Amino acid sequence: MKRRSLLKLGIASGVVLAVAGGSLALLKPGLLADGKLSPAARQLMRAVALAVFDGLLPAEAAAREARLAAHLDQLDANIAGFPPHLRGELSQLLSLLTSSGGRLALTGLTSDWAAASVADVQASLQAMSLSSLGLNQQIYHALRDLSSLVFFSNAASWQLVGYPGPREIP
Amino acid sequence: MSSIVDPIKEGLARGWKVLGGKHGPLPTSLDCDVVIVGSGAGAGITAELLAKAGLKIAIVEEGPLKSSSDFRQLEADAYAQLYQEGGGRKTADQAMPVLQGRCVGGSTTVNWAGAFRTPEETLNYWVDIYGLKECGAEAMKPWFEQVEARLNISEWLTDPNANNSVLRRGALKLGIKAPTIHRNVKGCWNLGSCGLGCPTNAKQSMLVTTIPTALDLGATLMVQTRADKLELKGNQISGLLCQPVHADGSHAGPAFRITAKHYVVAGGAINSPALMMRSGLPNPNDLLGRRTFLHPTVASSAVMPEPVQGWAGAPLAVFSDHFLRTQPIDGAIGYKLETAPVHPGFAMTNLGGMGRTLVDKAKTFPHTSILIGLLRDGFHPEAGGGVVELKSDGSPVLDYPINGYLLDGARRAHLSMVEIQFAAGAKSVRPAHEQAQDYQSWHQAREAILALPYEPYITTIGSAHVMGGCAMAATPAQGVVQPDGQHWQVANLSVHDGSVFPTSIGANPQLTVYAQAARMATGLAKRLTERDVRLDSPAVPASAASAA
Ligand SMILES: Cc1cc2nc3c(=O)[nH]c(=O)nc-3n(C[C@H](O)[C@H](O)[C@H](O)COP(=O)(O)OP(=O)(O)OC[C@H]3O[C@@H](n4cnc5c(N)ncnc54)[C@H](O)[C@@H]3O)c2cc1C
Repeated sequence: MKRRSLLKLGIASGVVLAVAGGSLALLKPGLLADGKLSPAARQLMRAVALAVFDGLLPAEAAAREARLAAHLDQLDANIAGFPPHLRGELSQLLSLLTSSGGRLALTGLTSDWAAASVADVQASLQAMSLSSLGLNQQIYHALRDLSSLVFFSNAASWQLVGYPGPREIP
Repeated sequence: MSSIVDPIKEGLARGWKVLGGKHGPLPTSLDCDVVIVGSGAGAGITAELLAKAGLKIAIVEEGPLKSSSDFRQLEADAYAQLYQEGGGRKTADQAMPVLQGRCVGGSTTVNWAGAFRTPEETLNYWVDIYGLKECGAEAMKPWFEQVEARLNISEWLTDPNANNSVLRRGALKLGIKAPTIHRNVKGCWNLGSCGLGCPTNAKQSMLVTTIPTALDLGATLMVQTRADKLELKGNQISGLLCQPVHADGSHAGPAFRITAKHYVVAGGAINSPALMMRSGLPNPNDLLGRRTFLHPTVASSAVMPEPVQGWAGAPLAVFSDHFLRTQPIDGAIGYKLETAPVHPGFAMTNLGGMGRTLVDKAKTFPHTSILIGLLRDGFHPEAGGGVVELKSDGSPVLDYPINGYLLDGARRAHLSMVEIQFAAGAKSVRPAHEQAQDYQSWHQAREAILALPYEPYITTIGSAHVMGGCAMAATPAQGVVQPDGQHWQVANLSVHDGSVFPTSIGANPQLTVYAQAARMATGLAKRLTERDVRLDSPAVPASAASAA
């Protein structure tokens, strides 16, 4: 029953770290004490956003960076509303994915998130989304769905989808 | 400033007893006649009836008190503030998102306002298999009538929005019936924002109906307060330990204790069994938290030639029960067809994909129609539902395996929806499945869907209908509670919410929760006070009330 592997990162991280030759204690949490994305996790979520929203982000560099920054801030705000146990799981997941061993073992990405090309991240997400391993699927959905919900719920994205926003109530 | 009068602000100004969160400090202890856990469908109905019987009641709600002036029809606010786990609740293997409310009014504050009586074949099944003779269609009829009168439930007479018209048009073309839905609304503006909290108070949720009535009758409402543990002494509950919480659910102060003559658990399926499990209540037949059902729901999107703007207008207006009614209840799984609101965050996330796929979806978004198929779980040995488990911090998670029996239903529901969408004139159609493409014809789609692998995760499945886990039944061997909601092993404890369903129901659950809660709470009021109460009659005079 390989598909019934639940997101028990304690176990998963053990496996990954055996591969990586590290130890959990050396990993930095994915979320900081105030609940915000760590700098490394921010790089990761930025790379995910570039891949998932490829073609929907502003073409001009400064505008794109501004949109990405707003998206990452919104992610922080969203995660801050999660119950502590969910934040804890996310923190562990991000922690693993931002360690080089964890990233390689779980996503197959050879270069780190900041350096990976959009095509590489897309290929990695795509592979996870079709993986026969439950854990890979869970990671894909955690990264992709959270990003997507935050991105499209934001008024800055509404014109991309032709949504006029809520009807005014006089 | 909005022209809408906020009934909650008015009530607070009138002196409602609301504590917790920004409403003032919680007591260090509290004594009452009945404490009700939750403020959703089952809790709201119970609160009104017990308050009308003159009982001193306290309502404990984990979520915040939000109301029309807070409801800005924004996805960015709504999921985070009004839903369980900030909108992030999923089944244990993360394969299914589970939508449930967590605010005053519970799921009724965010639901899509479709109201169905329990299908007769489901009630018959409950009578036959679970011995619930009080739940036969004839016996339930007066309860449905009473609730419908109280919550203004009647047929939706406004034209369906373009999204619902796709379902109606396509179904009629294929000779399938697609009738109009009943809705619990009064003066509805047809905004389409039901899932984000009703900004005009048109939806007759518990937030604007029964909870205000109970508060006007003197009930105490404690918000941002989690019922943590029921204390058991012998076969009686002796107290309820409550934990004040912040908006994110973390601890916000010292725990306190509520004592009552009777305890009603109505935290919804998943949370109600979890509370009872945390409390270590007797569970001799190992039924608690088991057989939890979801109506696992699959979707198909279509690009229509006409603008659909599926975010606007009542999200549910027509439905089809053709694929429930034309096959045996305990055979291959049947499914109900409906529509889903097409808001950008919700739809773009749940339809899947990235990069090129998302760009295409964004371009055609205003022309996008979404149909959903709700699988009727619980009637077949291979649809035994999920199991509630406790995490190390005591919070619940539902382990609900998706097996081949369900996935066969997912494939058949996709086929039905796609055929309807093409019959309605769709230009292209894409079932929500990670490996599906845009298909340009029914023939092409059919071949592709028959060839697609149907597996968990890659088949997009979600749920907004959690039911079961504290089943009622005529014998303790089959149920956690008795047919009147009373716990089989614990004397002064009842469960009045969707968790008492012994199966899913094959229809959107709110009206079934209301009617069952009305039946149970009326009986409880009688047992505790000797009084007869009704939802549609006024409260007993205050002078008579203190006698209880
Ligand atoms: C998005 C959405 C759309 C829906 N659309 C429809 C529809 O159109 N038609 C329909 O019939 N049904 C619909 N439903 C389902 C319907 O609303 C629910 O089935 C119904 O409200 C369930 O009632 P309940 O009493 O079991 O629980 P709920 O209404 O969910 O109420 C439970 C309440 O208890 C609180 N609670 C839980 N545990 C604790 C605790 N330990 N301490 C304190 N408080 C606690 C929760 O915060 C919540 O407020 C929808 C649901 C959702 C989420």
